[in-house]
Amino acid sequence: MSDSARTVGVVGAGTMGTGITVVAARAGFTTIVHDVDAAGLERGLDTVRGFLARSAEKGKLTHEQAEAAQANVHGTTDLAELKAAGIVVEAVHEDLATKQELFGRLDDIVATDALLHTNTSTLPVTAIAAGSRHPERVVGTHYCNPAPLMKLVEVACGRHTATDAYERTLRFLDGVDKVTVTTKDRPGFIVNRFLIPWENDVIAALASGLGTVESIDRAVVGALGHPMGPFQLLDIVGLDVHKEVAMRLYEQFRDPRFAPPPLVDQMIAAGDLGRKTGRGFYTYDDDRLFGS
Amino acid sequence: MTDLAKVAVLGFGTMGRGIAQVVAASGRDVTVLETTQELVDHGQVKLDQFLAEGVRRGKTSEDERAAIRGRVTGATDVAALAGHDLVIEAVVEDRDVKAELLTRVAEVVGPDAVLATNTSALSVTDLAAIVPASERFAGLHFFNPAPLMPVVEVVTALQSSAEVITRLEAFCNDIGKDPVVVPDRPGFLVNRLLMPYLNDVVQAYDDGLATAEDIDTALELGLGYRMGPLEMLDMIGLDVHHHATRSAYEQLLDRRFAPPPLLDRMVDAGYLGDKTGRGFRAGGGIEPDTTSNGGAA
Repeated sequence: MSDSARTVGVVGAGTMGTGITVVAARAGFTTIVHDVDAAGLERGLDTVRGFLARSAEKGKLTHEQAEAAQANVHGTTDLAELKAAGIVVEAVHEDLATKQELFGRLDDIVATDALLHTNTSTLPVTAIAAGSRHPERVVGTHYCNPAPLMKLVEVACGRHTATDAYERTLRFLDGVDKVTVTTKDRPGFIVNRFLIPWENDVIAALASGLGTVESIDRAVVGALGHPMGPFQLLDIVGLDVHKEVAMRLYEQFRDPRFAPPPLVDQMIAAGDLGRKTGRGFYTYDDDRLFGS
Repeated sequence: MTDLAKVAVLGFGTMGRGIAQVVAASGRDVTVLETTQELVDHGQVKLDQFLAEGVRRGKTSEDERAAIRGRVTGATDVAALAGHDLVIEAVVEDRDVKAELLTRVAEVVGPDAVLATNTSALSVTDLAAIVPASERFAGLHFFNPAPLMPVVEVVTALQSSAEVITRLEAFCNDIGKDPVVVPDRPGFLVNRLLMPYLNDVVQAYDDGLATAEDIDTALELGLGYRMGPLEMLDMIGLDVHHHATRSAYEQLLDRRFAPPPLLDRMVDAGYLGDKTGRGFRAGGGIEPDTTSNGGAA
């Protein structure tokens, strides 16, 4: 097997990029993670190191496996060092122009048969692929957060994606121990496509007095067997993040069911973004003067 | 002293049977009313089967099985309901059938008995208006299968008194269920949220977003749902969902509740899910074109 078939490039050392780095390195791929920001890269590499160390402590990996995975990880701030990669997974921030420009630059760096994967969650794969001179090698591979723990990857082909690129992508993801589902290149693919209107509907039900935060969560968990209530989930995701994803889908579908209800704007205006601010639908800080 | 100690259930179908079992398991005597002795016998046989399965799986002890069985009595004459404290109606989802029966039952049990309906699609307020002393009427919406599902929606009709709602909440807790008080609006709470989601999935599937299996897998693995939406529809029964969402649509005139055309067609074809062996997942599904890689139109 050639080196390129065993080398993966990851662009972006944020939460998703570092998670995908762990996934590839753990499966035995030489993994080169790139970030434009040296400090951001160091933080990302620390995250990877910490995750692998904890995996060994918890017995999820043997110490040898964790060390071998760690040895597969290399960091760089120079995009040209991704030259050897047979697959490059981009996990930079959710901005179309940034992703398009990145794929255009990668065209000049990687081999002609290298695959370009985008981890976009809400942008059209077809539009991102248009940034490459070879859109036939661009495939959407949407990992769930946290990527090292969540099995699912949504695979979406753009309008010009070649069948061969799609099939190689499925083989790669199978090789890194993921379960794939294939979806059309539609906003939100499958999971966010159905989660966002569901969450919006639940928020609207609260606003119209069909229940309380607590009673709605209890009803959904008890009657539908969801692992947590919709408001618990929204507080973890963050109201600001929910709004951003919802607005992206709304702008593409032009369907009001994707538009976040006014209560979301109100909560964001009040700074009640969820767990990260200590208050969202629930209150997480007992020291506050007034409980919710 | 146990409140609502003597309970009657109207209807020995799937829901009536499940509710009778749950109530009997709390130590209460339950009378189940059916129209014929044949239907009573059929209900008893089905109850026996469910309890035997519970014993086989180690969920129910032999003593519990015998005790539950001993507390459930069948009846075909409304007069047998005299002296009952709580009546839970679980007959066919037909307004006129429910109205006629509730009128007769209300005469027998007297004005102090609490009356509840397990309807999922009809107006509880409308049914409450039929009986004398409407303030003792409310909804008790159990989910299927009632013995296994932990939540019960306590549906407050416009006429329901606060006292009756409080007593029904306490009753739910006492029979081991988690009550959620909801207003009487179409679909109450859970179905109000569930139906547009299921319709949306059916339409997206018909639009070719992904295969039925991949849609279910994505939502199970991505969100940790116990069951994907299309497998859930097969389990619920496509006709049951169709009836419920159509009823909600007629009341709300909100197109998210309108049955998607593919759902209509599957009901037309008799593809009702698990019970007929063919549905979105059951029996290999309806085999859409899955040869496309999802790319070019």
